[in-house]
Amino acid sequence: MLLQVKNLRCSHGNLEVVHGVSLHVRAGEIVGLLGANGAGKTSLLKSIIGLLPPRQGEIYIDGRPTCGQPAWRSISNATVLVPEGKMIFADLTVRENLLIGGYHNPDRALQLEVVLDRFPKLRERIHQLGGTLSGGEQQMLALGRALMARPKLLLLDEPSLGLAPLMVKEVFNEIRKMRDLGLTVLLVEQNVTGTLQVADRAYVMETGEITLEGEAADLLHNPEVKRAYLGKGGKETWL
Amino acid sequence: MNIFDHRYETMPRAELEQLQLERVQALLVRLKRNVRRAREKIGDARVESLADLARLPFTTPEDLVESFPYGLFALPMREVIRLHTTVGPQGRPLVIGHTRNDLAQWGRLVARQLVASGVTANDVVQMCFGGGVYGAAGYLFGAQVIEASVIAEDSAHVDYTIATLQNYRPTVLITTPGNALDLVTVMEQRRLDPQSLHLRTVLLSRPVDRETRERLAAGLFARVQCNFGLGEILNPGLCLECEAGHFHVHEDHFLAEVQEGELVLTTLCREALPLLRYRTRVTCELVRDKCACGRTGAMLRPGGRLDGRLRVNETPLYENQIADVLARTKAAGRPFSVSVLERRIVVSVEISDDLFADAVGLIEDLTREIESEFLVRLGIEADVRFISPWSHLHTEPGSDAGNAI
Repeated sequence: MLLQVKNLRCSHGNLEVVHGVSLHVRAGEIVGLLGANGAGKTSLLKSIIGLLPPRQGEIYIDGRPTCGQPAWRSISNATVLVPEGKMIFADLTVRENLLIGGYHNPDRALQLEVVLDRFPKLRERIHQLGGTLSGGEQQMLALGRALMARPKLLLLDEPSLGLAPLMVKEVFNEIRKMRDLGLTVLLVEQNVTGTLQVADRAYVMETGEITLEGEAADLLHNPEVKRAYLGKGGKETWL
Repeated sequence: MNIFDHRYETMPRAELEQLQLERVQALLVRLKRNVRRAREKIGDARVESLADLARLPFTTPEDLVESFPYGLFALPMREVIRLHTTVGPQGRPLVIGHTRNDLAQWGRLVARQLVASGVTANDVVQMCFGGGVYGAAGYLFGAQVIEASVIAEDSAHVDYTIATLQNYRPTVLITTPGNALDLVTVMEQRRLDPQSLHLRTVLLSRPVDRETRERLAAGLFARVQCNFGLGEILNPGLCLECEAGHFHVHEDHFLAEVQEGELVLTTLCREALPLLRYRTRVTCELVRDKCACGRTGAMLRPGGRLDGRLRVNETPLYENQIADVLARTKAAGRPFSVSVLERRIVVSVEISDDLFADAVGLIEDLTREIESEFLVRLGIEADVRFISPWSHLHTEPGSDAGNAI
């Protein structure tokens, strides 16, 4: 197991938002974490990366306990978070944004070429300021910036949020390709159909608790998932 | 090694326990949210490790009976696409619901057994259960998952089974031990050479002793494997018999414990009717040891029934059902004892000496009446014997428990 979380409880002040969650991700897997707004998904992710110290629980990355470690240490565990809303540096160029992502990577110049080959659009806009990119391109930049650190475990927080449908499709295709790179992905999303189509397994979170776990294909047909997220008949697609 | 689902069947123990913990936690949340009876019983109990499971309440067969038909279902009926019925304590009916996912998972679990038995997509599978055995559906789903050819015809008569074996040349026969033994007996009587059939594997719906297994293997010239399941949980699909002859529980789907010698199971993935710590009323031993087959699921050694349930011609039967049938006849209220002889039940009823002496015609009438009541009400054939009160006679609940499995 590359990531193991046991009985994690997180709170914002006195308000507990994650009530004893357990999950795991095997090396090379893409695992989805689904849930509506306010379910506690982002808090859980922040706890894993070290941005939100958990109240209780255990976190192991590659077998090493990381619970309570500061966020900046996560890079030594080869874990990178792509935060919600991209959080790129708007006043820096695409190249500078990418190089910041590879700050710890001594081979960043080499990795830059790898990333630019992977996202040709970023090469086209290499000297453009990050803030001038479209939403989809900014998301690609955020993904590219994460890849600059050559992570083993990638935590993606709602990468499809606020994107045009065509870009959503492209982002999910990129995530699917991460598997070929040998990356392990924990994908936090509200886009159920898209996530379940790229993920191997998924967890469904509601009000701070995991209510379902299973193979992605099974969850796609789970009545509770269909009713809660896909509307009647569950025919919504991300294409 | 023939392993269908490497990831789950050979999952390292640490990872399996993490998966079980996650699934139990999610199950508790679903039960608390969706099942009123479970919510009342569970209360605020939480599980932070598998050891905490001991603090959770049991579900008993009586709970299932009390909540009959749909009281423990965790989803609305419109999501339940299959209902199977079985018999619970006191012979009262139980209903097991399955959603689309439940059925898909059932198929994959049975496929594990079929693959372990060496069945492949190139095989032709014949099933021979006799009408109404719901396990046949599970084997059908499993065979479909591995894309084996299935002869979807349930031959009720042994002649027809032999004809099918000769005409369609199935390589795999899935059947009950009783049917398999009948087949061997008839083939021996007719001096049919089992090698002229093309059978490679015979899969039995329940465990048999070593002698029966050897007799069937010789009589059908095929490898014989057994299965073990429980109607309320899953039958087949609870566990598989590996090449080394051990029953491995599918521990990614069922959390198995032994409480006072009784097998207690928690369904981890079932959507329609999830059961928390279900007391199966079956004795067993669980061994978590390394197996030569490479599977990591706990090895189960099933024992007898704890509730005195009998099995007559694959039909589960409780003692009070027998008493109820007798109560409808002129033998009402008389002491009786029962035993199982092959596919029939032998009912010994105590009658008074004067009846023995005076009324042979009366006894014949009573015999006919009892036999017909058993056939009509329970669908089983009965041999009725009358004995005098001087014989030492009493009913022995559980005396035939070994027969039940």
